[in-house]
Formats: sequence, structure tokens, C-alpha cells
Amino acid sequence: MYPASIEQYHRPATVDEARAAYAAAGGEAMYIAGGMSLMQAMKSRVLSCRALIDLSQVSELRGVENSGGRVRIGAMTRYRAVAESRAALGPYQALADAADRVGDRQVRNRGTVGGSLSWNFVVACTPVAALACGASVSILRADGRRESLAIDDFLQGPMTTALSEGDLLLGIEMPVPANPASSAYRKWGVVVDALPTIGVAVFVELASASSCRNARIAVVGLPGGPARTPRAEARLKAADLGDPSSLAACAKAAAEECDTAADPWIGASYKSHLIERLCLEMIGTAVRRARSQMS
Amino acid sequence: MTREISVTVNGTVYRKQVPVRLLLVDFIRDVLDLTGTHQGCTYEGVCGACTVQLNGEAVKSCMMLAVQADGQQVTTIEGLARNGVLHPLQKAFKEHHGLQCGFCTSGMIMNAEEFLRTNPRPTEDEIRHALIGNICRCTGYQGIVAAVSAAAEEMSAAGTPAKSGS
Ligand SMILES: Cc1cc2nc3c(=O)[nH]c(=O)nc-3n(C[C@H](O)[C@H](O)[C@H](O)COP(=O)(O)OP(=O)(O)OC[C@H]3O[C@@H](n4cnc5c(N)ncnc54)[C@H](O)[C@@H]3O)c2cc1C
Ligand code: FES
Ligand code: FES
Repeated sequence: MYPASIEQYHRPATVDEARAAYAAAGGEAMYIAGGMSLMQAMKSRVLSCRALIDLSQVSELRGVENSGGRVRIGAMTRYRAVAESRAALGPYQALADAADRVGDRQVRNRGTVGGSLSWNFVVACTPVAALACGASVSILRADGRRESLAIDDFLQGPMTTALSEGDLLLGIEMPVPANPASSAYRKWGVVVDALPTIGVAVFVELASASSCRNARIAVVGLPGGPARTPRAEARLKAADLGDPSSLAACAKAAAEECDTAADPWIGASYKSHLIERLCLEMIGTAVRRARSQMS
Repeated sequence: MTREISVTVNGTVYRKQVPVRLLLVDFIRDVLDLTGTHQGCTYEGVCGACTVQLNGEAVKSCMMLAVQADGQQVTTIEGLARNGVLHPLQKAFKEHHGLQCGFCTSGMIMNAEEFLRTNPRPTEDEIRHALIGNICRCTGYQGIVAAVSAAAEEMSAAGTPAKSGS
């Protein structure tokens, strides 16, 4: 398989140059980040373009930074860099858990956080982790306006986001909470590190060693794309973290409120079982990580 | 439609006029005639046979355009041996039965070479995890894992300086 003919290739060094190159191509341009989804779509001729704009040299879009009470991740930060930035990520370890297990080493050397969020494939790791982390998404609109959207509003169903043609995703950011907090993500796939059959991400901010001030749970592997589980979140916020039955009830609630669907390999009830198991495990991991910050 | 690019492959600078849509793997194989890099799946990017190093990092060359390598350093399997002396990984694959048909071998080695620079003393589990992106249809992987492990030991013992993808 081979991409359709491409007239122009641009490799801008700044966001402004990227936007200008896009505008100059008169609506027949595409941005390429790591290419780990886009190249497949181009080779299979699902997508084609007149001008390809490569964001790989836009250094202002790269990096994980923790300063002024915010954690920021540039759109062009590769999975590999996210996985290697556990210290800077602070409470948002779920994003490193996700990045660390995307595909394989070669994919992690190229694929980016921004590409994964923009593509928003129905089963992907970064969108669900960002959803549990409560990220804000920074966008530069094609007309030059900057906008910040809650991840819940940015992700709009499989392969659909709040991005319109020519918009650039700049990055995501999250506040560092006042209290001990952490997060965790794990997926279960058909083979190791494959796309998730089911993946669960959990974020907790502790009020004490045995109670949460805030909790977010998100599940991927559902037909409608990643989704939060509000009933399980409410239970976790009210739970006694020292009581295993209380945590088990949260995980059960998460499984019950997700509508799983069978695929050619795996039945719906097994997926529900996976949600329950992974949710319980991720609550445990997130709470343990958060507690380790208490003195 | 075409564009002039300058790519340093195994230390040699190549200046070529190429179609923008040319895949890096085809540039390496068909334009430069370096056929040690293989093509096993192309569309899906899942077999790893086309793995080369871009600026010292393992990448699948069917998942990139040649124009994206403009101004960059590419290392292929042909760039590993020095003055006719096999790289420890190449030697170990031979000695530990790390290949049968050899189709996957160059990709395996180009990935493993970078992996061993980031993790010079890996456990067996770490080696298996690092090679997830490379499929072998012959060996059953045992020989490949043994070869990577043996090469790691030899390189650590010899204190082989970390080679940075030339
Ligand atoms: C073998 C293999 C295994 C994989 N395994 C997994 C896995 O286990 N889990 C998982 O989650 N994913 C997996 N993936 C998909 C991978 O995560 C992709 O990297 C990711 O979906 C896309 O990121 P990218 O940087 O490669 O973006 P690209 O493919 O370059 O771009 C994707 C889309 O986003 C747009 N885009 C990119 N950046 C921006 C930006 N800054 N602003 C606006 N639009 C932008 C592009 O125009 C394009 O439409 C796998 C892929 C492969 C090939
Ligand atoms: S040919 Fe590139 S991954 Fe298979
Ligand atoms: S040796 Fe034949 S595919 Fe690996």
C-alpha cells in the first residue's frame, strides 16, 4: 500500500509557521505528528492531502513541564518522553502508565500525546487517561483564537473531537492539587501492549489516608469511546478507602454502568468482568501512590 | 510532487530527488539499494521488519515518508558492522540460533541495538517486552531472546561504548 500523490511537504519550526503553511494550502492540508495513525490512513487511501505539514520540528509543542502549580504536556511530546517523565507528571502518573504501554518501542519513539488525542480512536490509551486526569486541552483555532476546553468536552465520540479543520492542538494541562493525589491506568488487550480490549484509568485526591476529596474514573473499550463512570466516582468519593468491600462496590458499580459490547474475540460479560477487575486494581494503585506522598 | 532531500545513511550523505509520497523503507531499499531492511506488512506497521534507526532511535521505516528523514541520520543493518567485524548482536544472533529465514532479523537487531543502549543489562522479561514490535514467524523467539541476552553480556563485559546510531 502506498499513499496517494502528495504535492507539498512542509516542516515548520513554529506554531505560527505551521498555521501559515496550513492556510496557504487552501484547505487541502493535513498536519502529521508521529504518523502512527495517519500513515496507516494515508497508505490505505482513507485520507489524502495536497500538502502535508509535519509538526515534528515545532519545539514549542514538545515537553512535560511541572511549574506554577500546573503540569503541562505539549501536543508533540512523544510517548517515550511521557513515559520517562514520571517525576514531572506528579499526580498524573496514569498518562505515563498509558504511554509506557502503547504498542511497541518503535511506536512510542514516534507517536505523540497530541496525535492520539486528535485522532481519538475508539480504543486508545491516552484519551481515557487524560479523561480521568481531568485535563484541559489547549487549542489554537484556524483563525488564530486560542481556546481551552475540558477534556470531557474535547472528546466527542469515536474519531470525533472539538477540533475543526485547520485547528492545532497545542497541549494539555492539569492543576497540581493541594492534597496528596495520584492516578493509574491499566489496559487488558488481546496480546501484551495491544490496543485495549478494556482499559481503566483512576484519579484520586485524598482528604485523609482513608477518604477521597475527589475521584475520577474513566473506562475505554466501550462502543462509544472512552467514558467516565459517574456512579462509581460518587461511590469512591464516599468510600472508606481502608475497607476492601467499599472499594469492591465502586468497581462493581463501574462495571454495571458501562454498556459493553461483544467483538469478534471477546464477549460483553467478560469485558464487564475486566472493567470490575481493572477498576479495583487501579483504585488500589492510585490510592497507594497518593498515600506515599503523605508524611 | 517531488522534493530534494539530503539524508545521512550509515554515515554517507545521499542527496536525492524523491516523490513526496515515497515511504522511507522504499527510499532505503529501492533508491539506495540497501536491501537489508525488509518489508513485511507495510500497510499496518505491525511486523517491525522495516525497523531502522532515525537519529539513533528505532522506528518503522514503512510508517514514515522519506522526506521526513530530510536532514536526519538513518542507520540500517548495513551500518552496524565496523571494518568487516560483526556487531556483537549480529554475532550473537548467528551463534544463538536467533534466525532461520532471516526476514525479521535486521529489524530485530536495529530495535535491540537501541534498546541495549537504554538498558545495557536487561532481564529476559525486559528483552521480550522490548521486542514486541518485531514479529518472527520462524524461530519461536527463544533463540532471539538468548542472542540479545548474550550480546548484552558481551557488550557490558567489553565495556563497549554506547554507540549513538552513527
Ligand atoms: C503498531 C501500533 C500499535 C499501536 N498501539 C496502540 C496502543 O496500544 N494504544 C494506543 O492508544 N494507540 C496505539 N497505537 C496508535 C498510536 O497511539 C498513534 O500514535 C496515535 O493514535 C496517533 O498519534 P501520532 O502522533 O502518531 O499522530 P498522527 O498519526 O501523526 O496524527 C493523527 C491525527 O491527528 C492529527 N494531529 C496530530 N497532531 C495534531 C495537532 N497537534 N493538532 C491538530 N491535529 C493533530 C493528524 O492530522 C491526524 O489526523 C498504535 C499504533 C501502531 C502503529
Ligand atoms: S513493513 Fe514496516 S512494520 Fe511491517
Ligand atoms: S527468522 Fe524467519 S521470520 Fe524470523
